[in-house]
Amino acid sequence: MGSLKPVGPESNEAHGSGFLATRADFLINWGRKHSLWPMPLGLSCCGIELMGLLGPKFDLARFGAEAARFTPRQCDLLIVAGTLTWKMAQAARTIYDQMPDPKWVIAMGVCSSSGGMYDSYSVVQGIDSIMPVDLYVPGCPPRPDAVIDAVLKLQKKIEREAPLRRLVGTDSPADARAEAGTGKLVFQPNRGLPKGAADKHAHDPKSRLPFADPLPRKTGVKP
Amino acid sequence: MSDAAANPALAASTSRIAAALGALPHGMPQSPDGPVIEVELANLHAALRALREHAGFELCTFVTCIDHYPTTPRFALHHQLLSLAHNDRVRVRCVLPGESAPTCTDLWPGANYMERECFDMFGVRFEGHPDLRRLLMPDGYDHHPLRKEFPHQGIEPDRLYRQWDRARRASWAEESR
Repeated sequence: MGSLKPVGPESNEAHGSGFLATRADFLINWGRKHSLWPMPLGLSCCGIELMGLLGPKFDLARFGAEAARFTPRQCDLLIVAGTLTWKMAQAARTIYDQMPDPKWVIAMGVCSSSGGMYDSYSVVQGIDSIMPVDLYVPGCPPRPDAVIDAVLKLQKKIEREAPLRRLVGTDSPADARAEAGTGKLVFQPNRGLPKGAADKHAHDPKSRLPFADPLPRKTGVKP
Repeated sequence: MSDAAANPALAASTSRIAAALGALPHGMPQSPDGPVIEVELANLHAALRALREHAGFELCTFVTCIDHYPTTPRFALHHQLLSLAHNDRVRVRCVLPGESAPTCTDLWPGANYMERECFDMFGVRFEGHPDLRRLLMPDGYDHHPLRKEFPHQGIEPDRLYRQWDRARRASWAEESR
């Protein structure tokens, strides 16, 4: 589990023939986490720190995430760096939708995490009200080191994902075990997706489930 | 006049402006940062034209508004002018009886965006403006944020985004049916 070593210390035969035994989930996650392609959405001063991060001094290439592309269709890591206004929110959400699955989001800086000091009419009070967020990086702006830490934490998070479960559409491994031997079809791709969603390409944003409107924020209310 | 003795440049500027405006009724109180020309709304455009053509103010550096709520009339329009030839600045102040004012984009095309911003933030309509749309807030927003009665956390700032999001999802549901 969770390693790429050949099976058994004594299986020289298998080793010599070029076989590896591992979990498919682990192998897929291992590939994904070391080849993140960031989409830099630099909206204000955090964007400058993001440039420093991608440059030679901090060098995100050491963690396999240096291939920044300026089209969301080639990226799987959205880094929202800076103050997101409501006018820009539609563009940001469109960029998120255009990214192919699987995809992750880092909210870089306090502005994108919570609105920051802009407790104001024009600023989105946290980008989690318009898209799901995996990691929040505090700082105004955060140093590139902090974003490197976020990328490393995201790699840990990707390790815990189960991409095969998404493929076969079972809700949990327990479900799959319960169905085994009962005569029911275990392999049910796209189970639980809305009707017609399977007709579309998996990368089509229209085939994704909607992200619910957030609950209204309670301000100044103590539990 | 002690002002003229202390500051000959200011005296020259004042007399040049007075000559340019001629018989146009105006007040000219001094402020710490130079002369302020106060005109009625009816004379505003003529005064700006005279300053541009006869006093050498070839640049309009800023157009903005001040909301004096709750006094009425509440809006005062300010044009800040610059003369490169005379190294001189002047401000033109005009109290607006309503919420509309003549545009000055025919005199200074660069005032286009400043008037759009002023319209966006205060709701002052500039008559004759070639393209009076909102500049900073999204199109379709109902309020003008720099008015005094506007709460600084906004009035439904996410309404337009939610509308857009719902319409988008509805169209997808229509397609997949």
